[in-house]
Amino acid sequence: MVNLAVKKMYAGYGQKEVLKNINMTVKHGDFLGVIGPNGCGKSTLIRAITGVVDTYKGNILLGGSSIKEMNRKDIATKVAVVPQNTFIGFPFTTWEVVLMGRNPYTHRFESLKEEDYERANRAVKITKTEKLKERRVNTLSGGELQRVVIARAIAQDPKLLLLDEATSHLDIGYKVEMMDMIKKMNREEGITVISVHHNLDIAARYCDKLVLIDNGRIRTMGEPEAVLTPGHLRAVYGIEAEVHENPRDGTLYISPIDHKEIERTYKERIHVICGGGTGRKLLKALVDAGYGVSTGVLNAMDTDLRRAEFLDIDVVAEAPFSPIGDEKESENMEKIMGAETVILTDFPVGSGNLNNMKAGLKALKAGKEVILMDLIDISKRDYTGGKAEKLYLEMIENGAKIATSVKDVLAQIG
Amino acid sequence: MKGLIRKRPVAIFVLLLLMLFVTVMASALVGSPGVDISFPRVIGIIFSGLPGIGKMLPEYSGTDVIIIRQIRLPRILLGVLGGIALSISGTSMQGIFKNPMASPFILGVSAGAAFGAAASVVLGLGMYTLPAVAFVSAMGTALLVFGLGRIHGKTDVATLLLAGLAVNFLMQSLTAYLIYLSPPEKRTSIIFWMWGSFNGTVWQEFWIVLPVVIIGMIIVYVFSRELNVLQLGDESALYLGVEVEKTKIVLLGASSLLAAVVVSFTGIIGFVGLIIPHATRIITGPDHKKLLPTAAIIGGIFMVLCDTISRASGEIPIGIITGLFGAPFFIYLLLRSRGETGW
Repeated sequence: MVNLAVKKMYAGYGQKEVLKNINMTVKHGDFLGVIGPNGCGKSTLIRAITGVVDTYKGNILLGGSSIKEMNRKDIATKVAVVPQNTFIGFPFTTWEVVLMGRNPYTHRFESLKEEDYERANRAVKITKTEKLKERRVNTLSGGELQRVVIARAIAQDPKLLLLDEATSHLDIGYKVEMMDMIKKMNREEGITVISVHHNLDIAARYCDKLVLIDNGRIRTMGEPEAVLTPGHLRAVYGIEAEVHENPRDGTLYISPIDHKEIERTYKERIHVICGGGTGRKLLKALVDAGYGVSTGVLNAMDTDLRRAEFLDIDVVAEAPFSPIGDEKESENMEKIMGAETVILTDFPVGSGNLNNMKAGLKALKAGKEVILMDLIDISKRDYTGGKAEKLYLEMIENGAKIATSVKDVLAQIG
Repeated sequence: MKGLIRKRPVAIFVLLLLMLFVTVMASALVGSPGVDISFPRVIGIIFSGLPGIGKMLPEYSGTDVIIIRQIRLPRILLGVLGGIALSISGTSMQGIFKNPMASPFILGVSAGAAFGAAASVVLGLGMYTLPAVAFVSAMGTALLVFGLGRIHGKTDVATLLLAGLAVNFLMQSLTAYLIYLSPPEKRTSIIFWMWGSFNGTVWQEFWIVLPVVIIGMIIVYVFSRELNVLQLGDESALYLGVEVEKTKIVLLGASSLLAAVVVSFTGIIGFVGLIIPHATRIITGPDHKKLLPTAAIIGGIFMVLCDTISRASGEIPIGIITGLFGAPFFIYLLLRSRGETGW
């Protein structure tokens, strides 16, 4: 069943045409996200669907009938809108505001009926605002007020719920709580949801489908995987970004990339021996500072490896849970020989990566400058019964320098 | 106390009606300095004049019958109407503008009426044409402001407010120019008119104002739910099924009419329409279903009290009294409720 159909619609404000040739259909029970840069017409789309802006051409069908032939009360019984901000002029109580959601169902000369109170009560239950019923809205926090506004929208019993950046100004806790609640209503009660988002991660996480609007036109529409591609993000938002899949639930998230990383020019080569997350900050700092960086040997499961991959660094990686083998070790030595400086972070040393310590000593003996990061004392991260500590002391004897922070490292090599 | 008031609006309303009645009766006792009529005689004269029960009471005669029935009663009852009309108008204006600083005179009604009144004094038009000219000028000014405040077929309250401000100044300057041109005795009567007074009210005036006030009141009350929903903002109100544009036009029209019909007869009485809605909101909360009727009665009581003081003090203009006595009372209310109501 088609809930909403927009056909060849052009809409805007007075002389200013904002939306051009919009075609879309939203089925009953869909959860559709609308994304796009500031000023692209996202909010205008919400306003057009509810018939509060001028539509010059085309048609909007709501449950089969054209909104041009519906009066405001008819529309209000089918569509509810939650705006980003609501400023309420006078200090009404929460309960009074929620009951306003029943306005579309109340005739001018009628009072509220039993059913109206029931629906409003249900709305405050769903949104967990029962305790706020007697509170005046001017005393509520931003998050509480937004819940009340949602309760009011739910009291309206809409078939279609429109959210216009409804969670933008809420903290992450409220944001997730609110979107979870709306997702639940979408699933359990079949309320169709169209929500405008600035936050692409939230859009990707909650919406079944996305519409990407660019400069008043629909750029693309479909599953998040098809819409949120680096190419689309570059074309519409003008950013270089990577799209990752959340390993936990398979939803997408976006990581914009620094422009520095794109246009980097190498100063000199530095090889970093790290592991267990001890190299995260250093790798980024070195790349930002413009060095050509390589790293290894890292275990394939290591967090430093993931960081290195994001930073597009040359990595020597060993298979998961395996000690460093000869092949990888010689590959690593090649990288070391190609570098001017070798940095060893304060990684924990076990029998599996003891070879990495040995590589440091070999580098020293081959005449490379070696810097040892020493935030954690070697004795506390030595799981080899003293072998690592011995190698460490030997490096110092052979002229390795010690650095106490990432900043210190940069100072010493710069 | 406040919780009680919010929960039992009907009881409070009945109590206030009773207070209005008592105020009217008490006011009838008070005359200009030097005129004393005893309490039982005043009550007797009033009730014997009523249709129905009047026949069961003895006949009264003498000048005091004329004083009570022809001078004090029409004046007091026009005072009640004036208080009701300005309070309803002010409440509605504050609702439309979503702002407790709005007053019935925002569309230039008072400045327009003053200009009309000044013009008729200068032109030497008769006593009975003055209110008519003032009324036409008041409504004309309001229409002008309303016309200026509309952009692309929509009434934008911010534009309306600024247009009102400009037109108010324009009309005030024109009135001042008329006063400047007039000979001294005409100046005095224009200025006195502008300070407002119920002195010399005749029944005929009451009967002209009464139907207009009743109609205006009903119109505003019928739109009280829309007024509530409008407080969420124009766009949210549209989403909740309110025909925002139509509602604004009807309410602005009715509010201007209510204010214009009163000031045309009495001269400018400020403060009531600004302060009574505000003071009542402290008691009833912002729900217009309770706020409007309560503000109307409180406005009536307040106006009669102020007019009584005016009469007893040898006709100090009521526009001066309302501010002089109303402002301290209002400040008291404000300090007492500070932080509780959000205003």
